[in-house]
Parts: sequence; C-alpha cells; structure tokens
Amino acid sequence: MEERDIIERLLGRDETGLHDLLRYYGPLMRYIIAPIVTDPHDQEDCLSEAAMRVWDRVDQFDPQRGSWTAWLTAVVRNTARNHRRAVQPHHSTQDLDENTPSTQPTPEELLLRQERQAAVNRALLLLSPDEQTLFYRKYYYLQPTAQIAAELGTTERAVEGKLYRLKKRLRKLLGGEGYAGP
Amino acid sequence: MRDPDWEAMDEQEFEALLESSVIQPPPEEVVAEVTPWRLATKRILTGIALTTVTLNFWWLNYLLPAIGMALMLLGFRALRRENRWLGLCFGITVFRAVYLYAGLILNSTIWHSTIFPSPVVYGLTGVNLLLTFAQFFCLWRGFRAVQQKAGLPARAGGAVALMVWYGVIFLLALVQYVGFILLGILLVSYICILRSLWKLSKELDQAGYAIRPAPVRIEDGTAALAIAILLVAGCFLGWLLGCKYPMDWQATGPAEHSGAEEIEAQLLELGFPDYVLQDLTAEDIAACDGALRVVTDVHNHSVNNSANEPLRITGVAVELPGEQGRWMIFHHFLWTEDPGFYGTESIQLWPAQHLSEGWRSAGTVSGRVLYDKNGQTYSAPYYYLGEQTFTSDSIFWGEQTSTDIFAAFSMPETGENKRGYLAYPVAALQDGYILDSWFNYTHQRTALQYPAMTAMEARMCNGLNWYGPFYTVQDALQFYPTAESADLLS
Repeated sequence: MEERDIIERLLGRDETGLHDLLRYYGPLMRYIIAPIVTDPHDQEDCLSEAAMRVWDRVDQFDPQRGSWTAWLTAVVRNTARNHRRAVQPHHSTQDLDENTPSTQPTPEELLLRQERQAAVNRALLLLSPDEQTLFYRKYYYLQPTAQIAAELGTTERAVEGKLYRLKKRLRKLLGGEGYAGP
Repeated sequence: MRDPDWEAMDEQEFEALLESSVIQPPPEEVVAEVTPWRLATKRILTGIALTTVTLNFWWLNYLLPAIGMALMLLGFRALRRENRWLGLCFGITVFRAVYLYAGLILNSTIWHSTIFPSPVVYGLTGVNLLLTFAQFFCLWRGFRAVQQKAGLPARAGGAVALMVWYGVIFLLALVQYVGFILLGILLVSYICILRSLWKLSKELDQAGYAIRPAPVRIEDGTAALAIAILLVAGCFLGWLLGCKYPMDWQATGPAEHSGAEEIEAQLLELGFPDYVLQDLTAEDIAACDGALRVVTDVHNHSVNNSANEPLRITGVAVELPGEQGRWMIFHHFLWTEDPGFYGTESIQLWPAQHLSEGWRSAGTVSGRVLYDKNGQTYSAPYYYLGEQTFTSDSIFWGEQTSTDIFAAFSMPETGENKRGYLAYPVAALQDGYILDSWFNYTHQRTALQYPAMTAMEARMCNGLNWYGPFYTVQDALQFYPTAESADLLS
C-alpha cells in the first residue's frame, strides 16, 4: 500500500483511506501515543481521535514542508497530549495546539511564553544531532527513560546521565556563559 | 533572547518549560531516528552484509566479518525478546560469534594450520554454515511474526532471497567451481544480497513500530568495546604464547662424546672444524669412523640485506671408507650475533641426490639444535624433521608440487651461540658428478604477522627469499670429488 494512495483517498473523502490509514500507520500512531497516554483503553480512544484529526486536516499536509511521517506523528502527538490533558485535567496547564481548548493566557504570559519558546528553539539548533534526537524523544514524544534506553541500546542510568548533561548544556546556552549550573 | 529566569528555575520548572517549549514538529532527521526498530535492524542487516562479503586485502577478510558479527550481536540482542524466532537468531549469532572470534584469535598462533583441518573443527565449520541458513530462516519468520503482530500482511521475501543467494554461493563452494564467470556470479550474487537486505528493511518500515526492544544491562558501546578488547588481548596473547614451537631442551656436556675421542681426533686432524664437531651427536661422529678426507666451506650471511652477517653456515663433507664415493654431509649453522627475534625457524634441505642423478641417498637425515646459557650447553631434537610434500606458486615457475626435507625449530629468547646442524650420508651412483648440497635457512624476523605462519609454511607456500616477516638464506656445499682432490666450486 503506497503512502500517496492513502493520502489521495483521504483527500477524496474516501473512508477506505481512513481504514487503511489505521491499518498501515496504526503501529506508528500507537508508538507515538503509548508514552503520552499510558492507559490501554485511553490509547485506543486516542488512536481513533487521532485518525479523525488526520481525516479532518489531511488537506493541511504539504509535502513541500515535510514528509508524511513527520506530519502524521506531529498530529498524533498533539492529539495524544490534548487527550491526556482531557482525561487528567490537572496534569498540565500547558497548551501547545491552537485548536486545543485551554485557559487563555494573559497577553504578557503569551509574550513571555513565545519568547521562551523562541529561545529554546534557537538553543536546540546548537545541539548535536544525537542530542537533538534525545531531546525530542524526552520532551516532544515524552518517551520514558526506560524506553529511550532500550531503543538506543543503552542503560537507563546512561540515558539519565546524558539527559542531565543535555539540560546543563541547554541552561548554559539559554542563560549565557555566566551560568554555573544547578 | 536571554531570560533572567533560566538560572533561577528549579529542575522541575525547567523540565516543564522545555516540554512546553517545543511545539514545532522535530526536523525530518529526528523523525526518522525516533523508531524502536531502525537501529537494531540496521545493525543486523549491515552485519549480514559485512559477514557475507570477502575482500582479501588489508586484512578486510578478517576485519569486516568481525565488525559485522559484533553488529549482528548487538542488533539481535535488542530484538531477542520480540518473538521466539528473533530470540533464536540471537542464540545462533552468539554461537557464530564465538566460532568466528575464537578462529580469529587462533589465527594469531602458529597452531591454526594444525587445528583447523581437524575433524572437530571441520564439523564446527559445517555446523556454522548450517546455522547461517538457519539464521536467515529464523530472521524471515521473526520479521513475519512482527508484521503479523502489527496487523500487517506478512511479507519478508528479502530474507528468502538471502537464503537462495547464500545457497547458490554455498553450492558453488561445495563443487569447488572455479572459472572466469565465477567472479561475475559472485558479484551479481552480492548485489542481489544487498538488494534483498534493502527490501527487507523496507518491508519492516511500518511493522517495525510494533517492536519493543529488550532492555540491556550493558551498553552497546561497552559491549562492542569489550569484544574489541577481547579480540586484541586474545591476539596479543596468541602472538606472545603461540609464536614458537615447544622444544625439548636438555643439558648436554662433553661426556656424551665419551668413546668417540679417537674418531674426533682423526676428524680434527683431517681439518674438520672443531666448533662443528663439538655439536655433533655421538652417533653422527661414529658415522664418520675411518674418515679419509674432509672438505669444508664456510659462509657468513645477512638476514636483512644489510652488511651485518650474523648467520654463519658451515658445510662439511667427510669421505667414508669402504665402497668408493661414500660421503657424510654436514650443514651447520651458528648465530654469531643475536638477530633480535626468534620465532619459528626452518631449514629446507636439498641433498646431493635431490639435484643430481649421480648420487643416491645412503641413509636418513639427522641433526639437532643447541645453545649455551651460563656456561651450560643445551640441546634439543628438531621440533619437526622429515619430508613434506607441498605445492608452491612462483611468478617464474608457476604452480609446482615438490617433496623436500624440512627441519623446523624455535630458539629460546635467552642464551647465546644458538646453533644446530643437519647431517646425511650419500653415495655416488656414477663418477663425474658434482656433489651439490643445498641448505635453505628461513629466519622469522618479527612476531607481527596475521594470520600467523611458521617459517616452514612460509617456505612451502612461496619460493621467494623475502616473504612477509621471513627471510631465507641459501647456502650450498659444492665440490667436484675425484680420487686425488675435492675442489670447492664456491
């Protein structure tokens, strides 16, 4: 089954496209959802929700801006985060998707948040490819240390050590050379 | 943008901030890297490619399989708990890794050429070949199981193609097919194998997300480093402990010549060199009883093309009484200076009857090696002394099968005056032939060689005097014996 075929059927509002999306990309979608939504029942609900989100927004996918896998994982990840917040309302107050219902921040809070996001994204560009991958696994895909360790063929302790050094480096990059560490 | 709050934030706050700050999807490279299976399968497939290819230069025929096997070990270690087929693959890889690495370590010793042809090792080689097929079968079933678990159609044709191509190569090896088209067939096979591996990787593209790699207690990097250290240490020990023959050194003294004093005196009177005479066994001295005349020729030789000539070779011929034209030939060597390293040494003897139809053998070859230490002389029989039939390849003469007499031995690192000799009797078949006896001494100059080879093996596989760490000195005793004189030709 070709990726292009599924996308075209989704764009053509063909429901078999949705069926095949779940069939062929189900393992990837479950992989993204599992660390964020840990309850198995919630995971299935979240998967359906994510599939519907893809169905609704497939026209926003632009191959010029990135791959299908990158777009799909982003949609699934954001859906999973929103789903987690919905089932655990007090878990987090952060809102990362403009479509997700959330408490409205004040203009000052919004500005400060945007400045911080911009600073973190600038600092990320200065990390090595391995450090970037580790960062995104931990803070974007929200993978637990044990999963990261198993998938990278290393121990949890080693991953914790790398994350500690990564955070220290980020603090230094964000706070300037004068930062002495925690 | 610098925010003064960064420094004041506690760990939890900072983590929450990082989590909330990344709202843009990660770069494509990161998306491609965040998978549970790609690292493991990439290692497995690269490992298969590296263990399949054989490049016989720069030691790549050893290095690539060693690296490939380590990659397969790490790859299958991660997937060993995914399903029983992949667990079996890991078990098979462990066996194959032990077999491969033990062989690589054994290659650093001189014993590999005697151990590898043994029936047990032949059996293990056969098992290893069968396990290679079994491994592909298990890989095929393992990947199909992953696809079924992911709810995808089970397809892993790449692994089947691998088995087929391996089978073709195995059959060609079994029938010992040699021909111009073999290279082409192997090249096509290898390209097909690489294509199959690529296909196999693509077949896992979506199903692979259903894989859950097993946690590990030892990091991949540490495990790879441990394998590398084990191999290097094993080879180092092999070079250190397995680069010499075990010699049966025994203390000897003048008492062993008691009863032969009269013959000794007679030989000395005829001009037999005293330093050679003192090294002979009582039996070899007794064989010269009634000697009529002695012909001696001495040469000093370099063992590295330099002006220094530390190897003295003395040829001595003793005419014996009775039947006319009976001679006892001695070739004696003496290291007058330490050459720096003694590994394995060998002597290839071309006796008079070997080079001329005017002579015949009149007995067996004898001899021994000796050295002095703290005023005490030690002697030992040769580790090997006898005939060897071998096929050598030369750019001048092509492939040739010969049978020669060889003596093989090792010298100790300590002591001085390392020396030895070979002796044999000959008899004339016809008058008018030159007595031409050759003594080809092969010296090992360094232990650094891989795979390890003995001086005798080096001499047998190559006719050149310079071959890797070996250097061959050729010395000949050549004279024309008549009733009145024995004129040396050199």
